[in-house]
Amino acid sequence: MEPIEIGLWVTGGLLVLVVLGMRVAFAAGLAGMVGLIWIFWAKKQYGLDDFGWALGVAVKTAGQVPHSKVSSQALSLIPTFILIGYLAYHAGLTKALFEAAKRWLAWVPGGLAVSTVFATAGFAAVSGASVATSAVFARIAIPEMLAIGYDKRFAAGVVAAGGTLASLIPPSAILVIYAIIVEQDVGMLLLAGFIPGAFSAVIYGLLIVGMALTIKGFGPPVSGFTWRQRFAALPPALPILFVVVTIIFFVYNPFGGDAWGTPTEGGAIGAFVVFLMAVWQGMRWPQLRDALMETAKLSVMIFSIIWGVLIYVRFLGFADLPGAFADWITGLHYSPMLILVCILLAYAVLGMFMDAIGMLLLTLPVVYPAVMALNGGEAVAAADSTFGMSGPMCAIWFGILVVKMAEFCLITPPIGLNCFVVAGVRDDLTVQDVFRGVTPFFVADAITIALLVAFPWIVLWLPSLA
Amino acid sequence: ATEWNVSLWGKRRAFTEHVEKLAELVSEKTGGAFTMNISYGGLSNNKENLDGISIGAFEMAQFCAGYHRDKNPSITVLELPFLGVSTLEQERAISEAVYAHPAVQKDLARWNATLLMPTPLPQYNFVGVGDVPATLADFNGMSVRATGGIGDAMAAIGAVPTSMSATEVRQALDSGVVKAVSFAPHAHMSFGTIETGQWWTTNLNPGTVNCPVVVNTDALNSLDEAERAALMGSLEEAMDYYIDFYNEKTMAAWGPALDERGIEQVTFSDDEVAAFKDAAAAPAAAAWIEEMSGRGLPAQELYDLVTGMLADQS
Amino acid sequence: MATASLVLTDDSTLSKVDRALLALESRLALLSGLAVFALMVLAVISVGGRNFFNQPLPGYVDWIEQAMPLIAFMGIAYVQREGGHIRMDIVVGQLRGRPLYVVELITTLAMLLLMVLMVWGSWAHFQRSFDFAAPMWSRDSSMDIALPIWPAKLLAPAAFAVLCLRLCLQAWAYVRAIVTGHAVAVPLIADAAQQAAMEADQLTDGD
Ligand code: NA
Ligand code: NA
Repeated sequence: MEPIEIGLWVTGGLLVLVVLGMRVAFAAGLAGMVGLIWIFWAKKQYGLDDFGWALGVAVKTAGQVPHSKVSSQALSLIPTFILIGYLAYHAGLTKALFEAAKRWLAWVPGGLAVSTVFATAGFAAVSGASVATSAVFARIAIPEMLAIGYDKRFAAGVVAAGGTLASLIPPSAILVIYAIIVEQDVGMLLLAGFIPGAFSAVIYGLLIVGMALTIKGFGPPVSGFTWRQRFAALPPALPILFVVVTIIFFVYNPFGGDAWGTPTEGGAIGAFVVFLMAVWQGMRWPQLRDALMETAKLSVMIFSIIWGVLIYVRFLGFADLPGAFADWITGLHYSPMLILVCILLAYAVLGMFMDAIGMLLLTLPVVYPAVMALNGGEAVAAADSTFGMSGPMCAIWFGILVVKMAEFCLITPPIGLNCFVVAGVRDDLTVQDVFRGVTPFFVADAITIALLVAFPWIVLWLPSLA
Repeated sequence: ATEWNVSLWGKRRAFTEHVEKLAELVSEKTGGAFTMNISYGGLSNNKENLDGISIGAFEMAQFCAGYHRDKNPSITVLELPFLGVSTLEQERAISEAVYAHPAVQKDLARWNATLLMPTPLPQYNFVGVGDVPATLADFNGMSVRATGGIGDAMAAIGAVPTSMSATEVRQALDSGVVKAVSFAPHAHMSFGTIETGQWWTTNLNPGTVNCPVVVNTDALNSLDEAERAALMGSLEEAMDYYIDFYNEKTMAAWGPALDERGIEQVTFSDDEVAAFKDAAAAPAAAAWIEEMSGRGLPAQELYDLVTGMLADQS
Repeated sequence: MATASLVLTDDSTLSKVDRALLALESRLALLSGLAVFALMVLAVISVGGRNFFNQPLPGYVDWIEQAMPLIAFMGIAYVQREGGHIRMDIVVGQLRGRPLYVVELITTLAMLLLMVLMVWGSWAHFQRSFDFAAPMWSRDSSMDIALPIWPAKLLAPAAFAVLCLRLCLQAWAYVRAIVTGHAVAVPLIADAAQQAAMEADQLTDGD
């Protein structure tokens, strides 16, 4: 059997395991392991004596993957950013932010939900991990929305969708990971994420207002805050601004001198500042222990998916599937824009079954070179390119599109990490409830992505100034 | 028909041209009976290529000695600072001589690996930002990105080696977290340091990395007569092609790339370079010989082999 | 967190073993969390040293790479115990009672098969980096300051072995659940857990 056929069989088997309810990380790992055994055995023409050899080589090849792939400085951002989220919760930062957003914004139709979206967007400037953002806001925002009569599923959906903003608005672990996989400038990508992130938040907000105006019995606006109360809510939210400014100053020294450190270090320094604030706010060992356990659980879960998926990716490498795919894409005779849209649609489908980082690790080595080739190569000038932008700008634009798709996959059923996390925080919510509540936001995300594809300058304006 | 899997990393570039050429020649000479399927990163991480060879997951791979000193202590002699190599041809000759030494072959045999050919690289030099160093003293207190032996050498003249992954280097140089970065020219171009850099040291030449191409010994032994002849008979030509390519394409592009960006080329006087060498070379060599002798390697002999060849050539 | 309450306990040996193993697993998970904290402290030391004392932490990247396996692997069995590794519950969400336990048993055994092979493979990876005869027993070292890598590589088979224990226990629990109709010591889906708890309440009421 040809390696590519083996690749397709094993991929089918993987889908069966996932549908049966095997934990995704391990289903991917098992599929990869079986595929490797198969490939090596096929190489020896399935000789009975050779099975032991094939098994040993496959197991040892797969056995390298966990240590080799997680020992990466780039991936160290994931746990650091998750920790920031939980520490910020204990420092009271998230609560203060939500309170301020509520007093200023909750008077509009669907006000509390709109406030939640903008509070998560604000928090996104500190947090670099979507799941952690959803997890902490589930504790703060959902109870308040339920108290004034929101549908519990919708309340959960708002928090799950709001969390995704953390990965577009800098800092963002996933943007850094994209930059590292495709070897592009991290600083430019982080800069590029800001406007699309804010833009997504505005679209979410408009969607909620629209729903509130048309649906009966939607959560009522919360009015009656005086200007005095509004301004009183600002000082408690200031520490978050302080953290944001610290991270920005750290990475882009505005006084024209040398930066203090790299974006990776900036994340860790941000965590440390939040840690000090949490201690100031009375966090002691029991709360710190909770924060560390929560961080460990989310990190371990995400890293298990990473190495599990990468065993599968290693098998695909031996089956030479990526090479075949790249040849196929670049050989297609459709318009490049149509191909790009198809790639994004494929991400939407794939994203249903994958987590964000796993999906990027799985696809970028193949898809990124293909997209760059579509645009005319990595070094192409804007004037000669297909999409009207230079190679580096195309890398940034495609990065933001892919990360937005990856964030979309965090809220789509059946595998949507943010929804799992929100359901995990709340006893009264099942995962299905959260998926139902988050559905309206698919529309908002579809609109956002369409606009980012149609008007690339939304993404590229800020980095082009730098 | 024999099909070998070859594990490289990154993308096709000057650094991999000898492997590409070898695959082409072998397939040609055997009429397509012996082919090499070259994969860039699909089969292994670059730091695990020796592991993959040892397991038998693929038949041929490239790696750099400096990635993991303890995996291949014997060939790190070629990465000592200030050996005095000035051309790729010299680098090739001393590498091949070291690879032929029984102690080195035994060292790599622990990984079931046979050394096939080197990947000669020019000496590292620094691309930097800020004040152009006029003398070695200007490096005092300067934060630089340099790993391993080159880092130690820079520390000897008061520079501050700073640890970061290669992918973060450009950002760090951009923002001034480090002031200078050492790579070979092709890496300066691919990691984009020359987009930010303002000066380039032409002749510090503190050393380089040594990146051999190896094969799985069992796979090599199981080739038939014709296949083996095709493989071994193509090495010379593949190496010639590589050196030609690096000199003609990469190095020819390097000067204009610097000029285009207005990067100032700093050349230190012979006295200064000699002083640098005195400060850094002898202690590094002595430390290496002592440590490697402790591991039971004929360290002095390997060191003398390298320095002897270089002395003969100059 | 809701997840903690989803594992039912009782007086059976199975449940006792479960809780004993949980004590070990949660300590390992805390170790993961502490390693994240250490990562943050490491960055502060490195940045502070570089900016204030012109004395960066030598081998900062090497140290991070050493800490990452600690974070990524140590809590793996704990997360499995709590049902925290994500999965698709379209099928299992529809099943109740014995059919559910049968499907769970199948996927648990599939996972156990993978993890036994992974213990073997990651142990072999460790072994290739370890040599009793070498200084610091090291046959593989980090790039910048040549730290031995074998301790970090050993973490993978160690953590995976604990996960294998957990999976054996869960397989036992599902077999028992198929026999008795009641699942203890395994994570249950929210409403299934509530239902099981209700049944248990009814049983106590009936006594
Ligand atoms: Na963010
Ligand atoms: Na999804």
